[in-house]
Amino acid sequence: MALANADIRLSRFNPLPRILAFDDFDDGLHGWCELVGNHNGDLNELQPVFRDMRPAQLSTCTFFDMGTHGAVDGTYSMKLATRPRKFHQAVAIKRLTSAADGLVQFEAWFTYKAEQTFGGDDPGARAWDGNYHPSEAHFGSFTLWNDICEGTEPRDRYHAALRYENTNEEGEFTQRWLYKTGLHPTTRMLREGFDSNQNDVHVAKPDMWAPIPGGNQQLCFNEVPTKVNWHYLRWLFDLSTRRNTELQVNDLTMDLRDIPVLRFDEGYWGINRLLNLCMDVRTTSNVRNFLYMDSVVISADW
Amino acid sequence: MRHSFTAVIEKNATFQEDFETEPYECAWASEARWFIHVAELEGDWAGLSARVQVSPDGLFWCDEGSAFEPMSEPGMYSLAVRDFGGWLRLDCGLGGEDARVRLMVYLVLKE
Repeated sequence: MALANADIRLSRFNPLPRILAFDDFDDGLHGWCELVGNHNGDLNELQPVFRDMRPAQLSTCTFFDMGTHGAVDGTYSMKLATRPRKFHQAVAIKRLTSAADGLVQFEAWFTYKAEQTFGGDDPGARAWDGNYHPSEAHFGSFTLWNDICEGTEPRDRYHAALRYENTNEEGEFTQRWLYKTGLHPTTRMLREGFDSNQNDVHVAKPDMWAPIPGGNQQLCFNEVPTKVNWHYLRWLFDLSTRRNTELQVNDLTMDLRDIPVLRFDEGYWGINRLLNLCMDVRTTSNVRNFLYMDSVVISADW
Repeated sequence: MRHSFTAVIEKNATFQEDFETEPYECAWASEARWFIHVAELEGDWAGLSARVQVSPDGLFWCDEGSAFEPMSEPGMYSLAVRDFGGWLRLDCGLGGEDARVRLMVYLVLKE
């Protein structure tokens, strides 16, 4: 902590003793890359939801009305952008492995937006009133998640996933944090006949999410699609207990130790000590959704 | 060391009509090179064209001025661009009778 406090760029984080990665997107994407599903060299083999996860971008947060917004510090942030198509999802992943069991913490300064639209093409939408802007309802959700696999034995693999749902599948405001109650359909499961809607990388069906107790939260969208305000987020999970520990987003801290994290019954080959960190943005409208990260710190107590 | 990044802008995508690629932010880069890998191009007199477009905001676009040579058969095609501002995309035209193309589009950026 003394080191973090002495460094002006790190002093806005609260890292665990060992910093595994400090990803300031002013100098590159730091290994955050597009998620691609499994295939045998033939991309036609990709399961549909994995076919188009979009490349991350280094963004200046530039908008048509005021030019370049920039980031918390410097000019650039990492941007994930969906297509302008309902339920499209853009996913970035950083691939590590773990040297020990114990705590891992993901921290970020982030913001989110729906793309500017022009003209009223949302019949029945709540109108702009000078404060509320209908753009906020164009934003679906963003999700932080991991992919952990300790070894090759059954039940060694699991995904913890925490979603901020701004609007639900029907486009209605919910503004809450969710955890998932269904398994991520892997390519092998689908090849074995697992039934999936194929419009959410995390779950097969939309009802496989549940609210985190105490997880209602309105974030700072800031009224219009061209103003961004950066939020602090800290997600702690424990490789020893195979559980989340807690999630802090600004002034809200959620105790996640009793939230179940599902494990795969099958064993998986060739991914020993897998420690993948992932994030995604998913639109519930036919408008591009954006997730921006100014910077990310990944730290551990091992 | 100069920074570089390769983005897969279209991945094994199939089109049967004209299309534009998704907007991609590139303000950090001073040079870019597009690659189009045409895997399949079917239909009578089928041909693919691609013009480079630029934008100040990712919303409104105009031609940058350069374009790929017309593509009439599968293969790898490439085009270099400089002085493009903050955003790039391709405006692609698909000509011919019942034309269909399956392709990869890459954007290679370098600081």
